[in-house]
Amino acid sequence: MSPRMLTPFVLGLLSALLLVACRGNTVSHRKLVEVIVPSQDNPYFQAEAAAAAARARELGYDVRIDAHNDDPYTQDNLIDVAIASNASVLILDNAGADASISAVRRAAKAGIACFLIDREIRASNIAKAQIVADNLGGAELLGKRFADVLGGRGTYAELLGRESDTNAQLRNSGFHLSLDKYPQLIRVAAQSANWSQSEAFQRTETILQAHNDLNGIIAGNDTMALGALAAVKNDRRKKMTIVGFDGSPDALSAIREGTLDATILQPAVKIAVLAVDEADRLIKTGTTGLPERQWVPCELVTRQNVDEFGAFQRTKPKQAGE
Amino acid sequence: MNEVMSPLSPPSPLRAGAAWRSTAALLLKLRSLLALAILVLFFSSMTSSFLTANNLSILAKHVAITALLAVGTSFVILAGGIDLSLGSVAGLSGMIAGYLLVDGMRFAGAPHFLPAWLVILLSLACGGIVGWVNGILVTRFSIPPFIATLGTLYVGRGAALLISNGRTFPDLAGDAARHNTGFPLLGQAYLAGIPLPVWLMAMLAFLAWLLASKTPFGRHVYAVGGNERAALLCGIAVSRVKIWTYIISGFCAALVGLIIAGQLEAAHPATGQSFELNAIAAVVLGGTSLIGGRGSIGGSLVGAFVIGVLADGLVMLGVSEFWQMVIKGVVIILAVGIDQLQNRFQLRLQESR
Repeated sequence: MSPRMLTPFVLGLLSALLLVACRGNTVSHRKLVEVIVPSQDNPYFQAEAAAAAARARELGYDVRIDAHNDDPYTQDNLIDVAIASNASVLILDNAGADASISAVRRAAKAGIACFLIDREIRASNIAKAQIVADNLGGAELLGKRFADVLGGRGTYAELLGRESDTNAQLRNSGFHLSLDKYPQLIRVAAQSANWSQSEAFQRTETILQAHNDLNGIIAGNDTMALGALAAVKNDRRKKMTIVGFDGSPDALSAIREGTLDATILQPAVKIAVLAVDEADRLIKTGTTGLPERQWVPCELVTRQNVDEFGAFQRTKPKQAGE
Repeated sequence: MNEVMSPLSPPSPLRAGAAWRSTAALLLKLRSLLALAILVLFFSSMTSSFLTANNLSILAKHVAITALLAVGTSFVILAGGIDLSLGSVAGLSGMIAGYLLVDGMRFAGAPHFLPAWLVILLSLACGGIVGWVNGILVTRFSIPPFIATLGTLYVGRGAALLISNGRTFPDLAGDAARHNTGFPLLGQAYLAGIPLPVWLMAMLAFLAWLLASKTPFGRHVYAVGGNERAALLCGIAVSRVKIWTYIISGFCAALVGLIIAGQLEAAHPATGQSFELNAIAAVVLGGTSLIGGRGSIGGSLVGAFVIGVLADGLVMLGVSEFWQMVIKGVVIILAVGIDQLQNRFQLRLQESR
């Protein structure tokens, strides 16, 4: 292999490169809204991303959607790319309350207006807004419903979310704000199933072996509630009260069938749209006009009102008398 | 091709064929560079913000992570092994640094805080130790490298989670009162306008190139990977060479973990999941044979650039995450496919001579 052949080859490539670089076409004059969510294969985050994207396009922005898969380092890289692409707005459902701070700060320093949705970070005055569902309030509501259906007595099991997740802790505290008011309602088992359907299935099977007099299961999210539901179905035991949290389409149809008693609908779509609207207001008027931390109330979904809801959003107005 | 072709001599059909073949051979040999050039051309023609100084600096910083892992693990692969524990070691070293900076070392109840440079050294040493354990498992206990390092992958990840009970160590900036500030510089500092991780990549790649091509150790690595039995009969300390390759790999992985923790200013126990696959892909893209004995450090570096450019470019274009995966897979398969083509081609070239 002669090195003399290499030089013109490399030179040719470099000049071609420069040519293209100078041309630089497809310059869009619209502002870019970067939407980063935890994953694109989960209905909750899909709904959230799609709602934010649709609203931003409606308002005349370019939109790009990416997923960090709950990996702070992937998120860090994606935010770098957003900075390099001169994004104007970042709508972020972040990868960790602590591990996301430096990346959000870097984006803010680069002049990107950061709007955090669904999950907060443990730092203030970096993001323009942090809009989340009121998990504590929602969990308290669900705990009350669960206790009411059980008549304030009996035994139950609790399926917890991933222990490191703030929402798992918040929901657990919220449940017990209500449940602990009933001394005859006894928690006989509490297990983490890491938000996962298959893990919840296995945990529930084991719990049912140990406690055949169980009256109910309260789960930290719908996925785990559906896992528990499958395990109970297999067991062909008397009807058990199972409740979940999130308002996923699967949970809503289980409520319609009557297998799942209740869920808490997290208004993911509303939150995403709010964030985009506030970003738009910030760009047009220089301020969102709202405080940084915003909590959007959750709603209890039961068989009575299930038809008023779609995937992570209210689709029909509230009926009178509810 | 040692013969000198005069431009004046009339091109005989035979000559023309040979010239065509030698050009094809050259293109094949430089295929990873070629792929890189094509990717850069493509992305810069598609989006104007790709070839900007700002983006190139960011791109190099992202590439540095894969490149450091790929360069380190090149030695293992050249010696005929494989290291699947890279990502876990990266996660573990970050968590050890986080523990030492945030919780401190406990002696007699009271926590003691070490300066940042010592924290970095200790965490790097832990990476080396995991590598050493891998090496011992592979040589002393004759456990196949795939299984041994699969084991340490799980143990390492578990250990990283155990250190904090799954929690993230926040705020690694340190505390002036504890004399342990400065750690995030490892991931965030700039020297002469270029990010520190890029300097580290350049430095380590240069050292690795020296080690692989200019030292007896490097020749031994190639010998062990090429034919272990022959190497043994030649009097090469095969076991020692193998153990060192794993130590180098573990060390580089630990460095990557620390850089990431520095960038994030937080240590997250799940950091580095599936990094080993990116590193192996980069090494293979660079033309290194997974059977060992053939390949180069420079190739791994180019491979890392291909993966990095592809990843960032596709994100910039707004290509869906699912397509990104498909495209990455196709590129890897193509690269290895062309690798096989090159082998056959060179064989034919030799036969025809």
